[in-house]
Amino acid sequence: MVKVDDLTVRYDGRIAISKISVTFDDGKFHFVMGPNGGGKTTLVRAIVGFLPYEGKIEIDGVEHSKYLKKNSIGYLAQRGFQFFSFPMTAIEVVEMGRYRFKENISERRRSAMRFLKALEMDEFWNKRIDEMSGGQQQRVLMARALATESKILVLDEPLTGIDSKAQSLFYDMIERIKEKFQLTVIMTTHDVGFVSKYADDVLYINKEIVPHDKAEKVLSDAEIELLYGPKMEIADRHLTKNENV
Amino acid sequence: MFEFFSLFFIQRALIIGLIIAFVSGLMGPFLVYRKMAFMGVGISHGTFAGIGLGILIGISPIYSGMAFAIGLGIFIGFVSKIGKISEDVSIGVLFSFAMALGIFLINSAPGYHTDIMGYLFGDILAISNGDIYLAMITLVLTILWFTLRSRQMKYITFDEDFSKVVGVPVTIDYYIFMVLISLITVAIVNFVGVILASSIMIAPAAASRLIAKKFPTMIILAVTFGMISVFLGITFSYGFNISSGPSVVFFITAIFAMAFALSKIIVHHHAA
Ligand SMILES: Nc1ncnc2c1ncn2[C@@H]1O[C@H](COP(=O)(O)OP(=O)(O)OP(=O)(O)O)[C@@H](O)[C@H]1O
Ligand SMILES: [Mg+2]
Repeated sequence: MVKVDDLTVRYDGRIAISKISVTFDDGKFHFVMGPNGGGKTTLVRAIVGFLPYEGKIEIDGVEHSKYLKKNSIGYLAQRGFQFFSFPMTAIEVVEMGRYRFKENISERRRSAMRFLKALEMDEFWNKRIDEMSGGQQQRVLMARALATESKILVLDEPLTGIDSKAQSLFYDMIERIKEKFQLTVIMTTHDVGFVSKYADDVLYINKEIVPHDKAEKVLSDAEIELLYGPKMEIADRHLTKNENV
Repeated sequence: MFEFFSLFFIQRALIIGLIIAFVSGLMGPFLVYRKMAFMGVGISHGTFAGIGLGILIGISPIYSGMAFAIGLGIFIGFVSKIGKISEDVSIGVLFSFAMALGIFLINSAPGYHTDIMGYLFGDILAISNGDIYLAMITLVLTILWFTLRSRQMKYITFDEDFSKVVGVPVTIDYYIFMVLISLITVAIVNFVGVILASSIMIAPAAASRLIAKKFPTMIILAVTFGMISVFLGITFSYGFNISSGPSVVFFITAIFAMAFALSKIIVHHHAA
C-alpha cells in the first residue's frame, strides 16, 4: 500500500503537482491519467524516490525513505530506452532487477531468463538492447521491472509503442500476479480503453487531483473537457474502448 | 636483441608499461561509454600541478602528484554531480588552470629544472622504484575493483535511475571510480608523462569499441591493444633511439587507425 499525503512537488520553485492525497491499495491495478504535463511522471517519480517533495509518503506503513533503503520498486521509466549509452544484452538488463537478491551468477541468469520468457523475449536474451526495436526494448524493460519481484510496481506509460500482442501478455501477467502477491500496481497511461477494462481504480491529475465518480471508472464528457480541454472527441473514447485486445 | 631485454631500465619500463596498459584496458571502456574520455587529460594535468608543488617544497613529486590527481578527480566528480554538468565540462574549466599552476610552482622553485620535459613527455630512464610500486598497487586495486564493483559501474552507466531503485550505492561507486581513474592516471604519467597519458587510457578502448560488439570482448581487445603497443613502442624506441613515450603513442594511434579502417570494412561487408 502506498499512502501519499498532501504531496507537492516543485521544479526550481515552480509547482508541478500540488497537494495530492491518495492511497494506492494492495492487490489492485491503479491507473493514473491526465493531460501531457499534468504531473503523472512527477507523481510516480516522487513515489520511486527521485524527487524532493513536500508532504508525506508511506509505503506499507513504513516511512518513505526508510522503505526505499531496504526495498526495490519495480520501476519502468517513461521512454527509458532513449537514453541507453552502454552495450548491455537483454539478459544483463533484466539481471539488474535481481540486484537485491542473494543469487550466484547462474541463479541470477536463470531468474532473469524466467522474466524474459514471460514477455516472450527469451530468444533475444543475448542481443544488445540498443540494437532492438523500441517495442522490444520496452518489453525487456518491463521484464526488468517485474524481475525485482517488488510489492510495488510503478510503470510510467509502459505500453507506448508496444504491439497489442505484448500488451495482452503484459496485462494478463499483471492480472495474474497482482492478487496472488498482493501487488500495488501504479501505472500511468493515456489509453482510455484499457483503463475501462482493467482498472481497479483511476486517478486523474492535472496539477491537482481532478475529482471523478469512482464507481464509473470512465470519465463523463464534462470531466474529460475539464481534464483535456474542450477539443477531445468523445467518439474516440468509444472507439478505443471497443478495440480492446 | 636479447641483450636489449636484459637491460635493467628496459625491464622496468616493460613492467610498468604492461601494467598500465592492462589496467587502462580494464577501465578505459568505462570512460569511453561514460563520455569521460577527457578525464585522463584533466587528471594528468592536475598531476602536473602536484609535481610542481613537490619540486617547490622539495618532496618527492610522485606523492604530491598523486595527492593532486586524486583531489582533482574527486573535485571534478563533485562539481559535475552538484552542478549537473558533464565531467568533460568541469575538466575543460579546470585543466588549463592546473597546468598553469604547475608551471607557476616550478618557476617559483629555486634552481634550474632540466626534468620538466621528462615530466611532460615521460622518461623511462627516470623510472624509480616508487613508480614501480605505485604501478603494482594500482594493478592490485584495479583488479579488485574489476572483480567486485565493475558490475555496479556497468549498471550505473547504463541506467543510473534504475540502479538507484534497486539499491546500487550510486554515489559511492562513482567516487570510487573517480579515485581509481586518478590513481591509474598518475601511474601512466610516471611512464609517458603528462601530455601523452590520456592516449594510453582512451585510445585502446576507443579502438576496441569500433570493432567489438559485446562489452567483455571490448575489454579483452582494449587490454590486448594497449599491451601490444607498449611492447612494440618500447622495443622500437630503443632500436631507433627515440623517446619511448611518443613511440608507444604512435603504436596505439596506429592500432586505432587500423581498427577504424576495419570497422568501415565490416560495415561495408554487412551492407553488401
Ligand atoms: N525535470 C524537470 N524540470 C523542470 N520542469 C519539469 C521537469 N519535469 C517535468 N517538469 C514540468 O512539470 C510538469 C509536469 O510534468 P510531468 O512530466 O510530470 O507530466 P506528465 O503528466 O507525465 O506528462 P506526459 O503525459 O507528457 O508524460 C510540466 O509542466 C513539466 O513542464
Ligand atoms: Mg509523463
